[in-house]
Amino acid sequence: MIAKPIITKRRLDYLAYAVFIAGILLAPYFFDEFWLNRFAKYLVYGMLGIAIALSWGYAGILNLGQGLFFGIGAYMLAMSLKLASYTSLQQGSDTPVPDFMLWNAEPGALTDLCCINKGSFLWIPFQAQWFGVAMGIVLPVVVAAIVGTIIFRKRVSGVFVSIITLALVLLVRLVVIDAQPVTNGFNGLTDLGWFTVAGFEFDPYMVETYYLVAISLSVLLVGVRLLTETRAGLILQAIRDSDSRARYLGFDVPVYQIFFFSVSAAIAGFAGMLYVIVAEFASPTFMDLTFSITMVVWAAVGGRASLLGACIGAILINTIEATVSETEAFVEAWKAIIGLIFVLVVVFLPRGLAGFASDVADWALVRLGLRSREDVEAAADGVQPAE
Amino acid sequence: MATAALTIDNIGVEFSGFRAVDGVSMIVDEGELRVLIGANGAGKTTLMDLISGKTESTSGHVYLYEDEITNKSEHAIARAGVGRKFQIPSVFKDLTVRRNLEVASCPSPSVFANLGFGFPRPSRDKVDATLELVGLAEEEGLPAAILSHGQTQWLELGMLMVQDPKILLLDEPTAGMTQAETQKTARLINELRGRHTILVVEHDMTFVREIAERITVMHLGQVLAEGSIAQIETDEKVRRAYLGSHGIVS
Amino acid sequence: MIDVLFIGLSLGSILLLVALGLAITYGAMGVINMAHGEMVMIGAYTTVMSAIWLGIGLIPSILLAFIVTALLGWLIERIVVKRLYGRLLDTLLATWGVAILIQQAVRLEFGLSFFGIHVEGLGPGLQNVTVPDFLQGAFSIGAVEINTYRTFIILVTAVLTLLTWYLMYRTPIGTQVRAIIRNPSMAAACGIDVDRVNALTFAYGSGLAGVAGVMMSGFKTVFPDMGTSMVVDGFMVVVMGGVGSLLGSVASAGILGEINGVVASVTNDILARAVVFGVVIMVIVLKPQGLFSFKGR
Repeated sequence: MIAKPIITKRRLDYLAYAVFIAGILLAPYFFDEFWLNRFAKYLVYGMLGIAIALSWGYAGILNLGQGLFFGIGAYMLAMSLKLASYTSLQQGSDTPVPDFMLWNAEPGALTDLCCINKGSFLWIPFQAQWFGVAMGIVLPVVVAAIVGTIIFRKRVSGVFVSIITLALVLLVRLVVIDAQPVTNGFNGLTDLGWFTVAGFEFDPYMVETYYLVAISLSVLLVGVRLLTETRAGLILQAIRDSDSRARYLGFDVPVYQIFFFSVSAAIAGFAGMLYVIVAEFASPTFMDLTFSITMVVWAAVGGRASLLGACIGAILINTIEATVSETEAFVEAWKAIIGLIFVLVVVFLPRGLAGFASDVADWALVRLGLRSREDVEAAADGVQPAE
Repeated sequence: MATAALTIDNIGVEFSGFRAVDGVSMIVDEGELRVLIGANGAGKTTLMDLISGKTESTSGHVYLYEDEITNKSEHAIARAGVGRKFQIPSVFKDLTVRRNLEVASCPSPSVFANLGFGFPRPSRDKVDATLELVGLAEEEGLPAAILSHGQTQWLELGMLMVQDPKILLLDEPTAGMTQAETQKTARLINELRGRHTILVVEHDMTFVREIAERITVMHLGQVLAEGSIAQIETDEKVRRAYLGSHGIVS
Repeated sequence: MIDVLFIGLSLGSILLLVALGLAITYGAMGVINMAHGEMVMIGAYTTVMSAIWLGIGLIPSILLAFIVTALLGWLIERIVVKRLYGRLLDTLLATWGVAILIQQAVRLEFGLSFFGIHVEGLGPGLQNVTVPDFLQGAFSIGAVEINTYRTFIILVTAVLTLLTWYLMYRTPIGTQVRAIIRNPSMAAACGIDVDRVNALTFAYGSGLAGVAGVMMSGFKTVFPDMGTSMVVDGFMVVVMGGVGSLLGSVASAGILGEINGVVASVTNDILARAVVFGVVIMVIVLKPQGLFSFKGR
C-alpha cells in the first residue's frame, strides 16, 4: 500500500472539473460573438449530457424521451418571450397577441389573449416573464414526477422505461403540432423578444448571454456532482446495481427513482429555457425521436457514467460538427462519421471518453508510482457498463 | 418464558390453485436460531417470501414482536426489522465493499433526509466493526463485483448485520460454498447466535448440525415436525416423508 | 364504416409488415435493432434501383430486396450485433449508429458524391416507384371501394406471417431458434450452433424488412430518412404484443391499425398517431409482459 499520495484519482477528477469550468469561462477571450453564440448552444447541449448521465449512468434509467422535458422548458419560456416580442406588442390591443394567432383568427374574433381562439387564454399568465421561467422548471418536474410515479411504482424497468419515455415524447410532439392555434404547430415559436432581468436584456450575441449559460452550466455541473456524492446519490447507485437488494434493506426504491428522474427533468427543462434565450426559437423538433436519441449518443461517447464526460461529449461532438460544417457535403459525411464513432464506442469503449481518460490516468499514476497496479486492475475488473 | 420475536399464524398462499404454503404456524423466540429444512418444493423459500413481503399471502398473519407485518411492502417490512438474505447473493456490484455497507447503514430511508454528505459516527463504527466481523476489512476498497462467491455472501450478511434487524432470514447461506467457506459461515452464524434472532433455510445437514438448536421440518407446504436435531432425526413422520431419499441424514 | 375498418386493416398490415422482422430479431434474439427501419429503406431503394438499372418491376424486386437486406443484416450481425448479446440497451445504441451509417451511405451515394459521381436513384432526393397496372386503382365489393394495392399489401403480409410462423414452429431451424429464445447457453449445450442460428435469424428478420420496404415503395415516396419513424412503430407493435409472441404481434398490429384508422376518421392523422402512442404506453404500464407472452422465468 502507498501512503496518501498527493496525486490521487479523485483529485485528478476534481482537477478535470476545474480545468473544464475555467476553460468555458475563459472562452470569451478567444472567440468572437458569433462563435460564442454557437458555443453557448453547445454548452446547453452539455447540460443535456449531464441530465442523461445522471439518469442513465447513476440511476440506470435510459430515458429516450429527454427531449420532452427540454421541449417543455423551451416552450414555457418561449411563450413569455413571444409575448414580449415587438410584433406581439404591436397588435393593436391592450394585451400582446402572438402574430400567428392573428393570422389564423376567425373573422370578428376579439384580438385579445382571452378569446382570440379557444386555447389562447392559456397564454395569459405568460405575460409575466417570471411565470414562463417558473413553469419551465415546474412543469417538467411535475410531468416527470407523474410519469415516474406511474412507471416506477409499477416497477417498469430497463428497456420498457426507454420505450415508454420514447413513446411519450413522440405523443406530446404530435399533440403540440396538432394544437396549432395555441402552439403554432410545426413552425414552433419564432420571432421572440429578449430575455430580460431587471431591465437588462440578454442579446443572444452578447458576451453576457454567453456567461449566463457558462455560469449556469458550471453551477449545475458542480451541483449535480455534489448531489451524486450525497448519501441519497450513493443509495441511487445501489438501486441501479440491485433494486431488490435496496428494497430489502428498507429503501422505498420508487421514491429515489422518481426524485432523480425529476431532477434530471428539471435540468433538461432548464437547458431548454437557456436554449431559447440563445437560439431565439422553440420548435417541435426538440421533441423529435432523433434529437432525444442524439443526446444519448453524446452522453455515450463522452461517458455514460461520468457527468463531466457526458457534458464534454455533447460539447465536443457539436463543436467538431460546426467546424466541419463549412461545406454541405462534409456535414453529411460528419454524420456518417458520428454514426461510426458511436458504433465503435458502444462496442469497444462502453465507458466512453471519460472511461478512456480514466484508464489513461490509472496508467500514468502507476507509472509515476503513485498507485499500485493491483489496485488499478482490481478496480477495473469491477467496472461494468451500466445496462 | 422467552419473548416471541416472530409469530407466524396459519399463513398460506395459493398460486392459481396450488397451495405452496398451506397454513404454517410457528413461533421463533427472541435470540433463537431456528433452522428450516425440507425437500425441494416444501415451501421454505416461499415462507421466507411471505414473511419478507416478496409474496402476498392469501391467508394468515405474521407478527414481528407485537406488530403485524402481514403483506406490508418489502421496504416497510425491512424497516420494521426483518433482514433478508437471498439464496443467490445480491450486492451492489459496482460499489466498493465499504460503500455497500454504508448504504445499509443509512440511518434514515428517506430521500430528503439523505441529501447530506457522510455518515454519522455510530454508522461508521458499525461499518468498521462489521468489516472486521465478516472478514472483509482488507477488501473494503474493492468493488463488490470482484469478490469471490463466499465473500459476496458474507458481504450481504454484513449488510444485514449493519442494520441490526430484529430477525434475520437467511436463505441457504452456504449454497455453492466450498467446505472452508461453509465452515467460516457457520462460525459467523454461531457468533451472531444470541445477539440476533435468526431463521435459516438450509439443505446441508453437516452445516445444520453445526449451528442448529431447534429445527422445523416443512413438507408439501406444511409443518411436518419441530424439535431438536435429535428429535427430528428419530421422528417417524419425517422418516416417512423422506423415505426413498435415504432420510435426511446424509 | 367498412371502408374505415379496411383502412385500419391496411394500416395494421403495414405495421405488421415492419414489425414481423423486429418480432424475430427482438423477440427471438433480444436485440433492439434500430437499423431495422433502414432495412426497410434499403428494400425500397432496391426497388427503385432495380427499376432504373435492371428494368425489373416491383414484384420481382421482392426477392432481390429480400436477398440484399438479408445479406446486409447478416453482415451487421457478424460485425456489430454479435459482440453485444446480453447488452440489450447497447444493441439499441449501436444499431442506431449503424442506422445513421446506412442512411448516410445512401444519401452520399456510398461516398461517390464526393468525387462528383452521381448514381441515379440514390442521393438525398425523393424517389418514386411505379406500381404494376394490375395493382393500381380500386375494385368494389358491394358499395365499398377497395384499394387494390392496399389489398395486395394485406395479402403479402398474411403470406409472410404464415411463412414466418411455419419457419418458427414447423421446421428444425425454427425449433432451434425457439430453444435459443428460452435459454441460449442450454441450447448451445444441446449442440445447437447458436452463432450460426443467430446470424441466420437476424438475416431473415432483416430480409423481411427488405420486403416491407418494397411494399412501402409502392405507395410512399422513397427517401433516406424514411425508416426512422417506422422502426418506432414496429417496436410499439412488438412490445405491446408481447416479446417473443408472433401471435401477439399480429394482434397488436391489428389493434393499433384499427385504432389509428378509426381515430383518424373522426379527428385527423396526427391525433390518431398520438392516441396510438397513448395506447401503447398504457399497455406497457399495465401489462409490461405484453398482451400475449410466453411464461418466461
